[in-house]
Amino acid sequence: MSTLWLALRFYRFPLEAFDAAEPPAVAAAQHLVVCANAQAEALGVEAGMRLSGALGLAPGLNVHERQPLREAEALDRLACWAGNFSPHVSLAAPDELLLEIGGCLRLFGGLKVLCGLIRDGAVAQGFSTYMALAPTPRAAQWLARAGREVCCKDAQAGRKNLQDLPVNVIGLSYAEEQTLASLGARRLKDLFALPASGLARRFGIGLPQQLAQALGEAPDLRREFVFPACFVQKLELPAKVEQAAMLLFAARRLLASLSGWLSARAAGVAECDLVLLHEDGIADTHLVLAFASPTRELERMERVLRERLDRLALSAAVTDLRLEAATPVHLPGSTLGLFAQSSAQSLDPVIERLRARLGKQAVHAMQIKEDHRPECATLAVERADVQAVQAGLPRPFWLLPKPQALQERGGALHYGGVLQRVAGPERIESGWWDQGESCAEGVALGNVQRDYYVAVSRRGEWLWIFRDTQGWWLQGVFA
Amino acid sequence: MSALPLLLDDVLLRPDIWRGDRLAGLDAESVSSSFAQLDAELPGAGWPRGALVELLADARGMGEVSMLLPALQQCTADALPVAIVAPPGMAHAPAWAAHFPLKQVLVVEAPRDDIAWSVELLLASGALGAVLAWLPAKIGNKSLRRLQLAAEGSRSLAFMFRPLSCMQTASPAPLRLSLRGHQQGLQVDIFKRRGPPCEKTLLLQVARPLPWSRVRSDQPPMRRPQLEVVESKPRQRVV
Repeated sequence: MSTLWLALRFYRFPLEAFDAAEPPAVAAAQHLVVCANAQAEALGVEAGMRLSGALGLAPGLNVHERQPLREAEALDRLACWAGNFSPHVSLAAPDELLLEIGGCLRLFGGLKVLCGLIRDGAVAQGFSTYMALAPTPRAAQWLARAGREVCCKDAQAGRKNLQDLPVNVIGLSYAEEQTLASLGARRLKDLFALPASGLARRFGIGLPQQLAQALGEAPDLRREFVFPACFVQKLELPAKVEQAAMLLFAARRLLASLSGWLSARAAGVAECDLVLLHEDGIADTHLVLAFASPTRELERMERVLRERLDRLALSAAVTDLRLEAATPVHLPGSTLGLFAQSSAQSLDPVIERLRARLGKQAVHAMQIKEDHRPECATLAVERADVQAVQAGLPRPFWLLPKPQALQERGGALHYGGVLQRVAGPERIESGWWDQGESCAEGVALGNVQRDYYVAVSRRGEWLWIFRDTQGWWLQGVFA
Repeated sequence: MSALPLLLDDVLLRPDIWRGDRLAGLDAESVSSSFAQLDAELPGAGWPRGALVELLADARGMGEVSMLLPALQQCTADALPVAIVAPPGMAHAPAWAAHFPLKQVLVVEAPRDDIAWSVELLLASGALGAVLAWLPAKIGNKSLRRLQLAAEGSRSLAFMFRPLSCMQTASPAPLRLSLRGHQQGLQVDIFKRRGPPCEKTLLLQVARPLPWSRVRSDQPPMRRPQLEVVESKPRQRVV
């Protein structure tokens, strides 16, 4: 297993770190354009231009003042997200991530698949990226800075691809680049040809060392990104948001970060809390995203989020988002079968989507409660908690929400014609212990003394009826 | 013009084309209803997977769920759960436990406007053996078509209960049955299927808490209700 470094460069990072996607836009610092998006570039706006000039070209331009702090936070979030793909992530501020993926290729099914996943993930979060692969982190970084999307599997290929890169990929100061230009060194191959001692005298020991690191001749130790111990991430929205659907884009970045953080820890969450912060004095809105089973799948989390946001009416404008995952639980990966086995899909993602829309109580499995009173015999429980039980006497599939009084005419019961009693009586007498007590449903059912019969109506309906001191009642149907 | 040598027999092998006097084959597999007389009348000799089955009934308690029990039990035996969407009463656990492991029964209490959405989601998931849904009376044809498409993409059995009044309106479901109660069994009429019109009215002895013989019957077997033919009058031209 050879080491292989993937450099991810987010080349519009100063702009895309703002969690909004409105075109055309630029990020600016000190009245100079730092970075423009594709729509702005189409209008002729370029990095390095004066802001007044850019506004002249594109009057409707959205200008964001560059915020280094926000960029640093966004890079941290992306590093968490990269935990999805490799446990070895290191930051290269301000806009690069380095992932050691040599050991993960087998897990994802090859280089192509893995790179596709990473790119799709970045695009889904709204980041433009250059990706380059090389055996050393420095070489990968330089290739990505030059926008060369190549994969160099060994040192030789790395050297060959580095040859043609312009010297500005090294990130030297303006004065140093001028000096190099006056020496006639415009490409890296010119630098490789120069003696290291001479370079060290003119530019300090740093430059020849970096060149050696890029070629794999000197060690290049990177500080690994340390995944935070607990996940609480805050994201300041670029503008106040009035509509819930507009939060989706920003919230997705938080969820992507959470899923990477969870994979790096081999954990999952059964619920996480998305807090919507409002302006001063208004209480936060808590949006609990609940899952039917612990998960770290981004797709599942996003579906639940979308369902919740669709139904949410904001009471006040939102200024910030915060995602908290308080209780991660251990969730190991699953083993793939040796042969292609078709396994039934899991029901959990469906259950959590239904719940996100219909409410938690609306979707449940059933469990028998040890109680003879029919109203109390069914418990709504989680599917995972159902225990096997022995069934007893024949019982109806449906119970009426409340027993319905039956008419008695001339000694015969009527329900769409005369009712015929075919079985009974079965005495159910139980429940003296909770007479008049209050419970979750209001007042407990209390003591019942009933004689149950199975009856058949003229229309062929099989009914479960009972008689108590107040008369005859219909309670269930044998559907 | 050189015509392709396309044989009629080859065309007839397609599952979506059948002769008027025979039942169509099914491209998906089917699950036996375990009633021989019903299987004989169903295309594919059983309940089709991946297609909507409409069951039209007005009354409750005639055995409309019991009729499906054998097929549903086959699903849960394969560890595929069964979902009950918008049931017409409170599901009573002891009754369901008598037929299925309760772990395999999922109850979804959807409000009227969300029933179609829930059913579509459940069918599309492919994780269920069967979906039983009580659709609202006023469900649009567009929603039904969406459900049929969702069903086609899955291997689930999809039983949709609707009121009898829907008999007159068209539906994209390839199999439609009407259910009526009777004192000697459950009266079933197949009024839409891929095949010739079904003339027979079936009387199924579905499972009941007691044998059918315990019911004293004072009615003759009901006659099959005839579909009303509403002729549209030619519009008079105003001169």
